[in-house]
Amino acid sequence: MISKITDTLREKRPYLMSLFLSILAALLIGAVLMIITGYNPVEGYAAMIKGAFGSSRVFGNTMAKMLTLCLTGLAMAVGSQAGMFNVGGEGQLFLGGLAATMTAVYLQGVSPFIAVPLAFISAAVAGGIYAWIPAMLKVKLNVSEVITTIMLNSVAIYLCTYLTNSSGPLRTHDRGVMAGTDAVPKDFMFEQVISRSNLSTAIIYSAVIAFLCWYVMKKTSVGLEMKITGENERFAFFSGLSKDKIMIGAMVASGVICGLVGMFEVFGYQQRFLPSISNEFYFDGMLVAMIMNYSPLGIILMSFFFAVIDIGANAMELSIGISGELSEIIFSIIIFLMAAEGGISKAVQDRRARKKARAHLREEAVQ
Amino acid sequence: MSQLSEVFNIGLLQNTLRTATPVILAAMGGLLTEQAGIMNIGMDGMILVGAFVAVAFSYLCASAAMGVLMAVLSGILIGIFFAVFVVKLRSDEFIIGMALNTFAAGLTVYLLRSIFGVKGTFSDAAIVSLPTVHIGFLENIPVLGPLLNDNSIFVYITWLLVFLTWLFLYRTPYGFWLRASGEHPESLETAGISAHKMKFIASILCGIFCGFAGAHLSLGYLTMFSEGMSNSRGFIAFACVIFGMANPPKVFLAALLFGFLQALGLRLQSVGVPADITSTIPYLATVLMLIYIVVSTDRKKKNKAKKQLERI
Repeated sequence: MISKITDTLREKRPYLMSLFLSILAALLIGAVLMIITGYNPVEGYAAMIKGAFGSSRVFGNTMAKMLTLCLTGLAMAVGSQAGMFNVGGEGQLFLGGLAATMTAVYLQGVSPFIAVPLAFISAAVAGGIYAWIPAMLKVKLNVSEVITTIMLNSVAIYLCTYLTNSSGPLRTHDRGVMAGTDAVPKDFMFEQVISRSNLSTAIIYSAVIAFLCWYVMKKTSVGLEMKITGENERFAFFSGLSKDKIMIGAMVASGVICGLVGMFEVFGYQQRFLPSISNEFYFDGMLVAMIMNYSPLGIILMSFFFAVIDIGANAMELSIGISGELSEIIFSIIIFLMAAEGGISKAVQDRRARKKARAHLREEAVQ
Repeated sequence: MSQLSEVFNIGLLQNTLRTATPVILAAMGGLLTEQAGIMNIGMDGMILVGAFVAVAFSYLCASAAMGVLMAVLSGILIGIFFAVFVVKLRSDEFIIGMALNTFAAGLTVYLLRSIFGVKGTFSDAAIVSLPTVHIGFLENIPVLGPLLNDNSIFVYITWLLVFLTWLFLYRTPYGFWLRASGEHPESLETAGISAHKMKFIASILCGIFCGFAGAHLSLGYLTMFSEGMSNSRGFIAFACVIFGMANPPKVFLAALLFGFLQALGLRLQSVGVPADITSTIPYLATVLMLIYIVVSTDRKKKNKAKKQLERI
């Protein structure tokens, strides 16, 4: 077992090395940016660490953030394994969250053993259907899913905002609450794992989903079929795979996960569905997935690092005033470097080879 | 009836021109990269940076021209940046494009906070907006007069740029090479012209166009910068490029149609339709138009094949 792990580590060493260097470079660039804008980077990063680990409460928040990033990242990975780029997770998240919340609100007084599963189902169905539309368009009509999902994001977000903002039809009648739906009944809410933090028993559901994603993608024939379809659609077709079904299935699964993330946000800590339920959470998850080359295990590990930076940066903004958007800058720089990794290492190799050849030539000339 | 006239009036057409202009500009850039064989979904970020730089320098230098100039310069830099990754280092266009959008969103908000000390929106009386153009002799013509007069100067420049883009692509050797770099890079290389170089040029031109689009957005359309103000316009421009099959006049029409729909949304708000509902119109329409264009080109291809078969 241990030798197996060391073997895979050795195999992945160049990749892990460039990942490490990319992260380091991104943090350095972040530091330079802080210096340029007149802040002390040591102070900044210290505030970030403290903001992510400083107390059990903030650590709970970091863990909760990790779950969101991990699930959204896996949602992206599930789709892209079958060649479907689901950029529309944000919209699916909104609709899933709203559907689950409204289900819970209507079922007030019913036993949680009936109501909560129904909320799960409605979140999954809402997210799944919203991903099914672009999937069908892609498979049946060959309309690019990248654009349709981006457009459907905006549609879903505006729609949910309309329904739940200060004059919307689903708005709460509770006094003193400006926007959002009625609160999910207390007994339906997930229990908190660390008190006063955002970390709830959603961690268990998330772990199950993450395990299922990894298992299906890496250990089953379905996962292999998805991979074949994603890599070469024609090959999949001529191998007798029902590629349409696989592609639609992968996209719907991706949407289902996003819908559940929306539900976890509300049932985990937000209590009400607010138009501000997600601040581009899906896009951050997407970045995690891209950095890790859509590998499920990598996404699970990387989402922790992203969560630390993200929660840390928000705390940094509150404590010393550096804009929390620094996290987005650091993330995107890591991606730039990782996406260019192949090209950069090839350029370095080429240069080395050229140098060697030149030295060789010179030697020959001397002889 | 009176409600209808409140929606469909000259203001609708005026708004169409105003709202379509940034999309047209970005789409012109997008069609150049598309012709050069690069899928560019990073335009949204390019527009955002342009918008920010334009406002920042208009405010700091008290000159709108300076704002536009610096927006264009930033566009050139982003174009080079994009091309280095996508062309030189052969990175995945999709990943680089998405990362560019995130980067632009993060950077603009970060700089907004650290330079101007505000969060969300930056508007100040010291931001100089772009001048509007008043053409005297048009005053007395009923519909055209109010429609073509008093628009921001970029509205007119945009029309000129659409024509110039067409001229460049289809009437100059550079345009020919640029198209070849997307369609047959090997043949172009055989002819002794570097396909990489043409792709670089396309990316840089796209950056410039998006810089213009951003500058118009923040100095012409509005006089302020707000977080994420590009509001998916880059993606809509990308969709327009696909509807218009990367052909300048067709892309122009597609972008005008988008502008019309957005303007219609604005008008509908004035008769009491909620803003969040009308805001979905352009996005829904984009999806529908995309379906239509894909299906219709597919059908055309099939018909053509059928005819050829019959001939045999």
